[in-house]
Parts: sequence; structure tokens; C-alpha cells
Amino acid sequence: MCGKLNWCISGAVALAIAFGVCAVPANAQNIEEKAQACAGCHGEDGKPIDKTIPAIWGQQLGYVYIQLRDFKRGDRKNDIMQPIASSMEREDMLAIAEYFSKKPWPDLGQPRAPKEIAGRALRANSSVGCTGCHLDQFQGDGTVPRLAGMSREYLTKTMDDFRSRARGNNPGMSDLMLATDPQDLAALAEYLSGL
Amino acid sequence: MGKRAIFAAALAGVASFLIGPAFAQETKQDAKKTPSQARVSPVTQDQLNAAAKNSKNFLLTNVNYEQTRFHPARQIGRDNVKNLHVAWIFQTDVKESLETSPIVLDGVMYVTTSFSHVYALDPKTGAEIWHYNHKMGPVTTYCCGPNNRGVQVLGDLVYLATLDSKLVALNAKTGDVVWQSDIADPELGYSETMAPTVIKDKVLIGTNGGEYGVRGFVKAYDAKTGKLLWTFNTIPENSVGVWATKDATGRDMHRDIQAEKDQLAKTGDPYQRLGGGVWQNPAIDLATNRIYFVVGNPSPDLDGSNRPGDNLYTNSLVSLDLDTGKYLCHFQYIAHDVWDLDAASPPVLLDVKDKGGKVIPGVIHAGKTGHIYVHDRKDCSLIRFSEAMVAQENMWVLPTKEGARMLPGANGGVEWSPIATDPSQGLAYAINLHQPMTYHVENTPYPNGKLWLGGAFKVIPGEAQAGNITAVDYNTGKIKWQVKTPEPMIGGILATAGGLVFTGEGNGKFAAYNSSNGKELWSFRAGAGVNAPPSTYMVDGKQYVVVGAGGNTQIDFRRGNNIIAFSLN
Repeated sequence: MCGKLNWCISGAVALAIAFGVCAVPANAQNIEEKAQACAGCHGEDGKPIDKTIPAIWGQQLGYVYIQLRDFKRGDRKNDIMQPIASSMEREDMLAIAEYFSKKPWPDLGQPRAPKEIAGRALRANSSVGCTGCHLDQFQGDGTVPRLAGMSREYLTKTMDDFRSRARGNNPGMSDLMLATDPQDLAALAEYLSGL
Repeated sequence: MGKRAIFAAALAGVASFLIGPAFAQETKQDAKKTPSQARVSPVTQDQLNAAAKNSKNFLLTNVNYEQTRFHPARQIGRDNVKNLHVAWIFQTDVKESLETSPIVLDGVMYVTTSFSHVYALDPKTGAEIWHYNHKMGPVTTYCCGPNNRGVQVLGDLVYLATLDSKLVALNAKTGDVVWQSDIADPELGYSETMAPTVIKDKVLIGTNGGEYGVRGFVKAYDAKTGKLLWTFNTIPENSVGVWATKDATGRDMHRDIQAEKDQLAKTGDPYQRLGGGVWQNPAIDLATNRIYFVVGNPSPDLDGSNRPGDNLYTNSLVSLDLDTGKYLCHFQYIAHDVWDLDAASPPVLLDVKDKGGKVIPGVIHAGKTGHIYVHDRKDCSLIRFSEAMVAQENMWVLPTKEGARMLPGANGGVEWSPIATDPSQGLAYAINLHQPMTYHVENTPYPNGKLWLGGAFKVIPGEAQAGNITAVDYNTGKIKWQVKTPEPMIGGILATAGGLVFTGEGNGKFAAYNSSNGKELWSFRAGAGVNAPPSTYMVDGKQYVVVGAGGNTQIDFRRGNNIIAFSLN
């Protein structure tokens, strides 16, 4: 069965089976059918099946493309995504990125951050300048992702991974995360998830 | 079938599902146009050459090719500016950072917005004539906001450089695309936010990308066809220089020259990914056929360990031959910069006094350091630098992992904001930022066109920020007057023959000051940050002042989408 949490988070083999067996018809031709391959983890309705998996519905086209490109190049490491991206050509990546960018952003139902947390997050933003790239209201643009409304767990994990350089495909982000107090990052994750 | 086989088969299946018909990138214009056409006469080169004396129009980004930002209109003066009020407001479709310099020529105004939109407006009423909505490519990589600083017009074409690094020529009457040329690959970190400069048969354009490891340039394109004519790489293949240990003001920059030489022997000249963007328009000396521009920071911004040498021509004033793009001279303000205190504000050509008091052709530039630098136009050499317009502390402490405090912060001083001048008073007017920051360094390899700061510069929470408007006597370097503002200033300033300077603030205030003493004479609250350079012009005998109020991404000032024109009655 698709959509079972443990299938998507227990490793590449299980995921690949999930994709191969039931996510996508073998004769998939149009982009909608092809994109079904992603639904196993990223969600049939745009809501990922696990909170540490990013929402890609409504995400910026350029950002999704660059991530796929980086998975293929090995600049970004992920046991699940790297094999998937490895056979994709640039046109495929752009097509899938465009497809998801046109989907509505999913409402993950996360609460607004309390005033105190929001204040801390906004002070951190003023200091390190997140909105200089992620833009007003943290909507992102081009190759810079939308952060508003992303799951708190994914944001936390991503910032941690940047900080430890476990995620290596944007060292500039790693530098910025390393220059930011972990408690500020926690506040940012809570604040951004509630937007 | 074993697990490995299932895995391989499944992956092959997934991959095959994702491969399909080639993705057709739409490149045609996505325009929303009103039916009307702009009633515009072709702009001649002679008109542009004489822009300095044209009180009716605002033909070039910084008034004239010398970029003085001194406009000859004088109907609005010190005595009557208190009566200035809103003539019209035009709301653009884009609520994001506005940095446009409105261009006005007989009966038409051209303004731009973030994401490379262009509007043709009636300068008397603000009515929209046409709107060009650039169909952005899928990949844009840019620093400091999706800004656009304007267009230029020559003949019957309007020239625009876009965020996805294209040069576009539009029909001035209709907004239709006449030609489009690729400037550079946005996937490698190139983007465009500056207004092109059109001169004779050429369109000159620089590039952004100093935060992404590009190799910067100025390019010249054929104005009629969009064909590339010449390229000047702002980073020469020998970027090492003279191992300068002091900045332009004589302060030690604490370079470890031996370590740099060891690195050079190990990894060679770093010129291919050394940054050196050109953010703003070149000034053009029509008499000598030379252009003058400033080059931005090296990549990565804060980590110098992988880029040994002076990193020529980053942080420099550079002069080229207009016809060929051949190098003529340069002056580097900060060799091997590790603070991002680079050169962004457009240079201005003026007659200046040399060290002996003789009046010679000069060039002045306002730096992020907070100094105004005065040069000899002949060889780019430095004549003098002004008193510091902002607090300077702990210069040049080297960035550390934990963060080292130093003033100015990395935004300046004077950012990209164009200065204004009044040659009759020998004054240059600059708007400045005061943002105490800590400078942090990290070492990472080139990230394939991604953000490459080599660390971080952080505004220090709890330390007060501020700004100022400063008038500097460029023949002495002394500050004539200074007005403090409650927030850092970014956007630009305009001086007029009416004895005024106009500039705006991030809090929405737009004001006029007596250009001789800085006394505030009028102000207006726009409701969003006024962080764009003002323009002025005349229609039917009436003078207008126009400015964008859209806030600013870089400093995070309140966003808006208004173009506001003011007149006396």
C-alpha cells in the first residue's frame, strides 16, 4: 500500500517499491501521471505523509528544479531522492518543478506562533536578513524557497542540517545558520510554520 | 527477485515516468496592455547628450551621462516647496521593493518594478499607457531583492535588463518586444537589476552575482539588434595586483600576504569565480569617449582564504574606452576585501580641484566605507577622500567565526544609492546607513552558483541603527551639513536648480531640503518605504517631482506599490 508512513521513511528500497508497485501507472504519459510518483511521500493532496518531508505543492519552480538538479549531481544527499533524480534530464526536472509550482500550497494546519516567539523570530530575521532572499512574507521566489507554512519539523531539520553541513548544497545557508543562535532558529521554525 | 533487483527496477520505473516531452520554456512576452499607444517622438542621441540642460524631461537614469543628479528645473524652489502636494498616484501590480528611476520624455514616463515590469504612464495624470510584464525564466538567482532600477530610451526603443539576465528592447509606443538577448546564465548566479545605459549605437550593461561566485563584466550590445559587441571582464586573468596592505585612506587591512602567496602557489589565480559585479550605470565622458564605473565585491564576500591577491578589479573604479571596451585605468579602494564594503553607488563626472587647487576633470564615488572619493579622470588616481559620513569603528578587524564587530556594517555607508551633486556649490549629497554589524567567516568551496558569502554579516540586535543625508564639499573633503534620520537610508537623492534636494526614508517619509544648509522645507508620508531615486520634469509649464514608494527588500522596509508625483497646484 502507498501512503504508509513507514514505507517512505524507512529507506530507499521501501520507497522505490512503493513507487514502483502502486504510485504510478506503468504507462504514465502525462505530467500528472508522472507526478504521482512523488505523491507517495509528498502527499496526494500536497500534505506530506511525514512532517520531516517538505511540502512541494506551490513551492517555487526554480527551487524545486535546483534541488532535483543537486540530487542528481550529488550536491544534495538523500537516499530516496538521489536515485529518483539520477535519471532525470533538465527538461524533466523543469517540467515536474513547474507542475508542482502551480499546485496550491497545502494548509498544514499549524498554529500561529505565540507573540513572544514571533518577536524573537522577527528579531532574528532583522539580524541575519532572511527576507533579503526569501522575500516579504517568506514567500520565496525563483530558486529561493517559500518558507511560510512549511512544516515546523521540516524547517527545524533543514536548519539543523544546514548548521551541521549535513545538507551541503547551499553553504551560504550553512554559514548563515552557523551565525545564528539555535534558540533563534527554533523560534524561526515555529514562526514560519504558523504563517 | 532479490531486494536489490526490486530496488533497481523500481528506480528505473520511477525515472522513466518522469521523462517525457521536452519542457518548452515560454519565452514570448506576457503583456497586459491597455489599447492606447504612447505618443512619443524618437529620442535622439543629441537629446541625450544635452540632457543636463533639459529642464522639461528626465532622460537618463541619473539625469545626464555625467550622472550628476542635478536637474535644471527650478519652478519648485526653496520659497514655494512648502506648497507641494500629490498630483497623482499610480499603483503598480507589484507590491515589492521599488528602486526605479522614472524616465520622462515628451509626454511619456517609464517606470519599472521588482520582477522586471515596465509601465509607460502619462506624466501629467499617471494614467497607464502600456504595461510590459516580463515572462521570467524558471531560474533566477539574485541578491538583495527582485529589484529593477529602470529603463533607458533611445530612438523608439526602451531598454530593460531583467532578473533572469536578459536584455530586452521594447517598442516605446506599444511595449512590444523588438528583440531580446541573453546576457548570462542565471543558473550560475547572474542576474540584472540595473538600468542599461544607451550611448550612440550601444547598450551598456553590468551584472549582479558577486554573492554567487560569478566572473563579473560590463558588456556592450548593438542598440538596434541586440548583438554582443564587446565584453570587459571585471576580473582580469591576472587578478593578483600589487599585494596592497592599506586601503585608499591609508589604513592597514591586516592581510597575511605570505599566507596568500602560499595559497596562490597552491591553487593559482582565482579569477574565474571571483565575483566583481557591476551594480550601477557607468558615467560617460562624451569628450574623451571613456566610461567610468565601479566594481563590487569579490566572491566569497567574507572569506579571503581561497582568493589570494588584491582580487582586481573588485572594489574599484574602472575606466574603459567606449568603442572597444579596452581597459584604460583603475583605482582599487579596498584590496582583498573581506567585509563586503565594496563600490556600488554610480560614479559622477565633475570638474574638481586637484591637490594644487587646479580645476581638472574629475570623478567622484561614494563608498560603503562612508567616504566620498575624488579622482583625476585622466588616470583614475585618488585626489582626496572626504571625512567619514558615518561612524567607523574597529576598521579593519578581520572577520572571525564568532563574529567581529566593526563599523560601518556591510551595507555601508553609501549602498547602491546614487548620489546627487550641485556643481554651483561644489557639493555632493549622499544618503548613508549606520548599521552596527558583526562579521563572521566560514570556509566553503565554490557552490556551483549558489549563495557564497564565506560567512555572514549580522546586524547586532539592540544596537541602534540610523541614517543620514550628508552634503560634502568635494573640493575639500569637508562635510558641509548633515541631517540625521531615524533609520538607515537607501534609495537615492536628487538635487535641483531650485536649490533643493529630495530624498526618502524607509519609514515612508519623502522630504525636500535646502541644498545649501540641509534645512527641511517640506515632507510627505507615503505609507511605504521611499527607497528609490526621485526624478523631476515639466509638463505644460508645471514642474513635477516623482518617486517610487515600494519599500526595500534588502533592509526590509515596508513594501508598497506606489509611484507618486507631486506638483505645486
